[in-house]
Amino acid sequence: MSGGPYSYSYIFKYIIIGDMGVGKSCLLHQFTEKKFMADCPHTIGVEFGTRIIEVSGQKIKLQIWDTAGQERFRAVTRSYYRGAAGALMVYDITRRSTYNHLSSWLTDTRNLTNPSTVIFLIGNKCDLDGQRDVTYEEAKQFAEENGLMFVEASAKTGERVEEAFLETAKKIFQSIQDGRLDLNAAESGVQHKPSQTGRTTLSNDQQPNKDTCSC
Amino acid sequence: MGSVDLLSLVQSGFTGETVLACLEVSKMQGWVRTTRYLAIISKSGSSAFFVLTSTRVPPISPADVSVEGIVPIDSNFKFELDTETQHEDGHDLYLSVSSNKSKLLFEMMPSSKSNAFVGELYKAVDNVVRKSGPLEYNWLNRYPPVIRHDCSDNGLKEEVQDSVVDSPDSLSLPRESIAKGSTPIAARESVIRYMMSKKEDQYMYKQSFRIFVGTWNVNGQSPTADLTEWLSCDVDPPDIYAIGFQELDLSTEAFLFNDTPRENEWYKAVVSGLHNGAKYTRVKLVRLVGMMLVVFVQEKLRQYVTGVACDTVGTGIMGKMGNKGGVGVRLDFHSTSICFVNAHLAAHVEEYERRNQDYRDIYSRMCFSSHHPPKTIKDHDHIYWLGDLNYRITEIDPKYVKDCVERDSFQKVLEYDQLIKQCRAQTVFVGFKEGSITFKPTYKYDTGTDNWDSSEKNRAPAWCDRILWKGESIEQIEYRSHPFLKISDHKPVSSLFDAKVRIIDAVKYRKIHEEVMKKLDKLENEFLPQVTVETTEITFDTVQFLVPQSKNLIIANTGQVPVKFEFIKKLDDPYYCKDWLNIEPYLGDVIPGEKCEVKVEVRVDKKSAYKLNSGQDQLYDILVLHLEGGKDIFITVSGNYERSCFGTSLETLASIKEPIREISLGSIIDKEKKKDSFSSGEGTYAVPKEVWFLVDHLYRHGTKAKHLFVQPGLHSEIYDIRDWLDNGSQESLPGSVYSVAEALLLLFESCPEPVIPYEMHTACLNCASNFMQCKQIIQGLTYHRKNVFIYLCSFLRELLSHSDDNGLDTKTLAALFGGIFMRDKPVPRDVSKPRSSQQQLDRKKSIFIYHFLVNDYPDLLPPLVSS
Repeated sequence: MSGGPYSYSYIFKYIIIGDMGVGKSCLLHQFTEKKFMADCPHTIGVEFGTRIIEVSGQKIKLQIWDTAGQERFRAVTRSYYRGAAGALMVYDITRRSTYNHLSSWLTDTRNLTNPSTVIFLIGNKCDLDGQRDVTYEEAKQFAEENGLMFVEASAKTGERVEEAFLETAKKIFQSIQDGRLDLNAAESGVQHKPSQTGRTTLSNDQQPNKDTCSC
Repeated sequence: MGSVDLLSLVQSGFTGETVLACLEVSKMQGWVRTTRYLAIISKSGSSAFFVLTSTRVPPISPADVSVEGIVPIDSNFKFELDTETQHEDGHDLYLSVSSNKSKLLFEMMPSSKSNAFVGELYKAVDNVVRKSGPLEYNWLNRYPPVIRHDCSDNGLKEEVQDSVVDSPDSLSLPRESIAKGSTPIAARESVIRYMMSKKEDQYMYKQSFRIFVGTWNVNGQSPTADLTEWLSCDVDPPDIYAIGFQELDLSTEAFLFNDTPRENEWYKAVVSGLHNGAKYTRVKLVRLVGMMLVVFVQEKLRQYVTGVACDTVGTGIMGKMGNKGGVGVRLDFHSTSICFVNAHLAAHVEEYERRNQDYRDIYSRMCFSSHHPPKTIKDHDHIYWLGDLNYRITEIDPKYVKDCVERDSFQKVLEYDQLIKQCRAQTVFVGFKEGSITFKPTYKYDTGTDNWDSSEKNRAPAWCDRILWKGESIEQIEYRSHPFLKISDHKPVSSLFDAKVRIIDAVKYRKIHEEVMKKLDKLENEFLPQVTVETTEITFDTVQFLVPQSKNLIIANTGQVPVKFEFIKKLDDPYYCKDWLNIEPYLGDVIPGEKCEVKVEVRVDKKSAYKLNSGQDQLYDILVLHLEGGKDIFITVSGNYERSCFGTSLETLASIKEPIREISLGSIIDKEKKKDSFSSGEGTYAVPKEVWFLVDHLYRHGTKAKHLFVQPGLHSEIYDIRDWLDNGSQESLPGSVYSVAEALLLLFESCPEPVIPYEMHTACLNCASNFMQCKQIIQGLTYHRKNVFIYLCSFLRELLSHSDDNGLDTKTLAALFGGIFMRDKPVPRDVSKPRSSQQQLDRKKSIFIYHFLVNDYPDLLPPLVSS
């Protein structure tokens, strides 16, 4: 049952980063609600979303932190990188400046996460191909040079949004299976929920109480 | 509380009834898990399953306990242990109890207690099966019918059911705990299972399938006849065949070693007799001595058959030999579980009680143990029971029987059929149905003929060979015998059924499952804490030294769950906000729909002024408002700080000839950076002009003022004095001498370093008792600091010369200025120093200063004026 189709055995922490207005929150919303948020206000802080997905027959709960993109919050949002298993780095294909800033986002990510953190580059707003300011090829090359996974996606149409989140999870899951990701490390960004217990900590804590009061 | 206590406590609440077992469990009701006590209670040979609630957990007196529901343990009672969950989970054991359409789910802790309880439950159920004659449940009637999960049609069943399967949408709190993931995952799963089962109609549909069930006692004969007449006499090919034989082989060999060539012979005969309108594949063949059951399904349907298993039960000699008993095959066809049982019950005319007993043995002992948990016959949606059941026609003249059946008037004879009579008495085949018999008795014929047995026994013909069924949505199409097959002393019997089988529409199922998952995901996101704040930008216009300003931040809970908020530290920051900020309250709870007002106060005091004056800091901070288990909101606080001489170093002040506000911020920052280079005093005042203005004012107006420096000033006057010093003025210094004295102290207090720098404090305290050494330390001060020190001490001595008027004494001033000249390093907000060591320090500082208030020290006097 708990090994059955509905439970989850892992929790992966993701962060979404990138310049202001590239569509980070819309990507999250599209992923969790399968809807496009037309009038998405600027994120002033860090939004939080969750969804359960399946990778290789394992249910995985994604905990996604969507960070504010404004430059003035940069120092604060750095606090949130720690312990991320996946980082979705987003730029806007219609605004070259957001692409140009990628190296600085990448530096932060590399400095503040652990080496096994999977970084996925997303060129958002690919539905606006007419206003394209960054070619697919150059971004692809940037991704390859830096060892990042890459897609162009659209939070508006939902195109390839799932793919980005799921591929990241697959890669993380692969790292776990290959033993490259140490689950015991506090900052791996992955929590394993062993199926033997299959419970959250809270209820484990409650266990002894229940014993003592019914005995 | 021990289980023994619980049992005796519950027992004391039931007089006249016996409480067999009692257990604390959690009742799973939609989203809710609530504590319940289960009890198996018996009276007059029958028992019932009681669900009890208690006002106290655990209950302390019988009065705490009340009955919530009762399920009679009768033939409709079913329970199932979800051991799979136990296995995977290691913690939980789910007990589901059902009777007719009512269903209850409980979670229990696996323990010896739960084992004992389940053991009692097995016993109670077993008791129902074994008991001959109907059980009596009237004793349950003393309980209000509304709480009974009764099988009788009292119209209250639906009501009961409603309370059992309450709409989860009406329950808010446990949803939240599910959403927060604070409920066990198993509970989330059970929620999904529950939600899926509620939506069953949306992805399940029923489809009718034709099932052929046949039985024949072949009396040990070989299959010398063509069986198509029996198996293929219908126009349409059936979807499933279940064909049972008895007395396949009567040899001792077969009896003792369960080995017979007949199996293969008859199997081949059956295969060649199957309807040629379809292709069949064998699902399972099972045989025990002479009893054989073989199940076929149309090849194209084989893929929908799963979970195939078989078992045999011998009820013959010593209750286990296989000359009598039953063989069974179970399978899942689409989503319906089907069980076929082929039985050969005890022989002999008068032995109907033994036949009843054989039935009960087979019913309770047949177990398909390859399933986890093992399944018994009753655990199936559809049960087909066929075989030579051996019930006879008794208490009637055999000749009369023969006469009647010759005239096809069966009804009169069937009145004397043992099986029909026993069924009516509910001693056997409870819940089973049989179609009306419209064919001649199938036993006993002279082999090879249609003639009744001509032996001396002269027995009445009987319908030994029967087919019964149990389950919903089964319609019997045919029930007949096949008299043309004459090789046995029995005639074969067959029945056609149209059985409606539940089928999952895989596409719809996936869609609904996805919807359910999405709904839960959405719920989980919806149930994240949500607040709105009026603004994320808090801007203060002009902030002046010491003048507090505050704005309110309203945190409104716009979500569906209570919110715990807290302003949290940023990475590497020691505190959640800067020195000059204060947030009250910085953490709290807000329930949905409510608001919380948080006061954000800016106050630049002596501790924070220097950083702002010197440009090391600015009035700008980003606060992180964190919602427990949810998002963070950034609140930006900003303002313009009006720079002031307060919070400026003595060196910088001494180097500025104009009022500080006339100097640009840049040049102050510049001067602060270079303040060490002014230590020679060149091009600067000997003491900062602000110090001089204040001391000079006091010298001229305050020497006789009572308790100067001890009596506090007025805030407003201090602000005026600050403005006077910062802006410069032609007017005389405002405020009372007391305010001026306090402003002077504040000026020193807000300097980045005390007059005697921090690094010299230890030395000062070590030599505090030695005036010579104290003088040496002062001699070693930088130019402005030495000047300020001596200037102040001289002024204090002047004050003390008027002690008759102002009432001041040396000790008081020494203590006060010891704390000023040798101010301690600021400590972080949340650290407090031990009191005793602080007192000792303060005493030594005071002694240090005391020397300079009572002694002359002409050797220290510097050239006061340098400019």
